[in-house]
Amino acid sequence: MKKLLIAAGIFALISLTITDQLTGTWETKLSPKGNVTRVVFKSDYTFEGFINKKPFVTGKYTFENDVFSFVDNGCDGKKGVYKIVFFSNSDSIRFESVNDSCEERRNGMIRTVLGRVK
Amino acid sequence: MKKYVCFIVPSIAVVVIHTSFTGSGPSTKAELGKLLFFDPILSKDRTISCASCHKPEFAFADTGVVSLGVGGSKGSRNTPSAMNLSLQRIFFWDGRAKTLEEQALAPIENPVEMNLPVAHAVLRLKQSDDYNNYFKAIFNSEPTASNLAVALAAFERTLETVESPFDQWKFSDDSNAVGDAVKRGFAIFNSKGKCVKCHFGADFTTNEFRNIGLFNSKELNDSGRIVISGQPGDLGKFKVPSLRNIAMTGPYMHNGMFKNLRQVIDFYNEPDKVIPNSLNRDSVLSKPLGLTEKDKTDLEAFLLSLTDRRFSLSEHGY
Repeated sequence: MKKLLIAAGIFALISLTITDQLTGTWETKLSPKGNVTRVVFKSDYTFEGFINKKPFVTGKYTFENDVFSFVDNGCDGKKGVYKIVFFSNSDSIRFESVNDSCEERRNGMIRTVLGRVK
Repeated sequence: MKKYVCFIVPSIAVVVIHTSFTGSGPSTKAELGKLLFFDPILSKDRTISCASCHKPEFAFADTGVVSLGVGGSKGSRNTPSAMNLSLQRIFFWDGRAKTLEEQALAPIENPVEMNLPVAHAVLRLKQSDDYNNYFKAIFNSEPTASNLAVALAAFERTLETVESPFDQWKFSDDSNAVGDAVKRGFAIFNSKGKCVKCHFGADFTTNEFRNIGLFNSKELNDSGRIVISGQPGDLGKFKVPSLRNIAMTGPYMHNGMFKNLRQVIDFYNEPDKVIPNSLNRDSVLSKPLGLTEKDKTDLEAFLLSLTDRRFSLSEHGY
């Protein structure tokens, strides 16, 4: 029983760690045009995107083995699948397109680098 | 000693005058642009400024179907809001300007707006000691068409609003910032209402042109974007406007034909009921949306939640 509890505890810890890897607030650096994009990944697997504090996108996602799959309120409900590459001690991320037929979104996402804010 | 006093007193006067001058004048491009935006010097008869039609208290839009230019001349299109333009990529209802700087000079020359050739406007600014000094201090140059445009555009870029109840709900993650009707309305906006197909983005516009069915080549004969692009598919298309502060900017559409938001929602719900003979209407609006009265009320509540607090609190501050 004790072993089972320890195993459950370890599993819970691992799950929490994986969730925590993406959940939180991420931001781009100030662009040459003076814009900052912020994305908040929430623990309920929804996310919100902002440009200069203005909400611009909202959606739902899954995140497994570094693969980020989502639908948002743009792109006619088309699903996007990206590999998330963590770097700088996992404090920064960028997106590699796996499958996204929404060209404008894909063009934006593959250029985006986000740093963890909190 | 008397000589020193004679020297010191005028020196102090010069310093005081210079200080008061620089203290009251604009010190940035945006401040200079603001001064110019509100100054009728840029219209032929010196009666109309940019702010005459882009009224601060109405989110820099106008309340008339069309605005009145010099001599009471009427334009043919409704005055759009001059707020929240920083992220936008096309300007005017027909998209004839690609930058804010390009946009800024056009109303000065338009015969039914300010009706003053830009060269003449620049000459007036050069003849003004104040403006000459301001331009030299800020641009290190006398007034030119180019830096006039830069100053006006710089001011317009300051007119961003990010403090609506909707913003607070989303950005501050404050679910109490809006009521349930707003939340339901946002869901309808993104689904059944199909609004998001055109009004997606930080300012609720995809920065594209659409024909929503307000062109029939008869009494509704403004053909819109096609005049600029020459593309047959652009017949009856107009720029998708921002929805920020939409409650303040009625009447609505390029021709100001709808007095209030409910009329707008009713139109989108069943376009054929309002304009049965439209030409080239977008396929997004090919079928009635099927909104219930409650849906419409919720959608309207969501649109009202896009009003910045400066307007709801009457804190114009301009």
